[in-house]
Amino acid sequence: MRWARTALFALAAAAALGALDLPGGGASLPVRALAQQDWRKEFDDVCSKTQDAMALSLEELRSLLARCDKLKPVIEKLEESQRKVFTRRLQACRDLYQFVLETREKP
Amino acid sequence: MSRVVALLLSALALTSTAHAQQAGKKRRPLPPEFGRVVMDNHSSQAKLPPVVFDHWLHRAKFTCRLCHVDVGFAMKPGGTDVKAADNMAGYYCGACHNGKLLVDGRKVFESCARTTGEPRPTCLRCHSQGKEVKPQVDFASFTRNLPKGRFGNGVDWEKAEETGLVKPADFLEGISIKRKSISAQKDFALGAKLQGMPDIIFSHQKHTVWNGCELCHPEIFVGVKKGATKYSMVEIFEGKYCGVCHVNVAFPLIDCQRCHTKPVQ
Repeated sequence: MRWARTALFALAAAAALGALDLPGGGASLPVRALAQQDWRKEFDDVCSKTQDAMALSLEELRSLLARCDKLKPVIEKLEESQRKVFTRRLQACRDLYQFVLETREKP
Repeated sequence: MSRVVALLLSALALTSTAHAQQAGKKRRPLPPEFGRVVMDNHSSQAKLPPVVFDHWLHRAKFTCRLCHVDVGFAMKPGGTDVKAADNMAGYYCGACHNGKLLVDGRKVFESCARTTGEPRPTCLRCHSQGKEVKPQVDFASFTRNLPKGRFGNGVDWEKAEETGLVKPADFLEGISIKRKSISAQKDFALGAKLQGMPDIIFSHQKHTVWNGCELCHPEIFVGVKKGATKYSMVEIFEGKYCGVCHVNVAFPLIDCQRCHTKPVQ
């Protein structure tokens, strides 16, 4: 009985943390997934539009900026080498989107 | 008596001015030295000679954007905190210098993995300041057939790229992001401040081929609205704006006609 209660508690905790892909337990999944290897996929996707930044709509630019801001704390938790490189890269791509947004918003 | 003292004092003042001028005069680098960067963030502490990095060979093989955006090297000297551990983890120099990457059919030598003890011979390939190190690629042989430039490395890199004599790579597997090719931005003219001096025709196309967008904006060029930023040659010579690249690496500022190209009316 005690064993079953412990197991149930462990399962509930794991689901809450998003470690298990249980139906209904998905609220924390994106955050957790981002915190692992998917940060790179997200980084590549967010920063792949710099070449075309001038052609993006203001909404798209704002959305990219929000994604950059969401990714920053995840990158800050990486090991030193990765953190140094990707913090700079993310900053450069964020700065460009911000710059294009401001340039286009100003009359 | 006072006349003699005054004479001596003026002679002394003249001599010290002449010395100061001589000390302040910078020797123009020789073609192979142009674009050379010495990096000593941690080398001396690790009892290794500082790294001597030559832009000419790297720029012939890779775009500026690849190294300064994708690999993450800062544009300011000493601005990148490169450690041996970073290289060994496959970042910075180690992104290419990993003993695996093939460039022109040759494996790029591995970066220095020394942490303690005597430096291995491979370390001295780059940690070479003050050492007699024979480079793997000789400048004179490499540049012999490239179009000539008047200053800098003595090479017209732009023409070399246009004619296909150099093909700088813009993508590094595992590092770069696959993206669409850049949308063309308009060229524009910048008025010269001196009468009779041709205006500058700034070619976005030429610059974006090697630099992309985020290398220049907004870190180097903040204002893009016409007339928002007042550029001056003094600031540019001090290493601001165009001077970030065109003082030490890209064709130098003394090559006036490369930028001041608009015919005077």
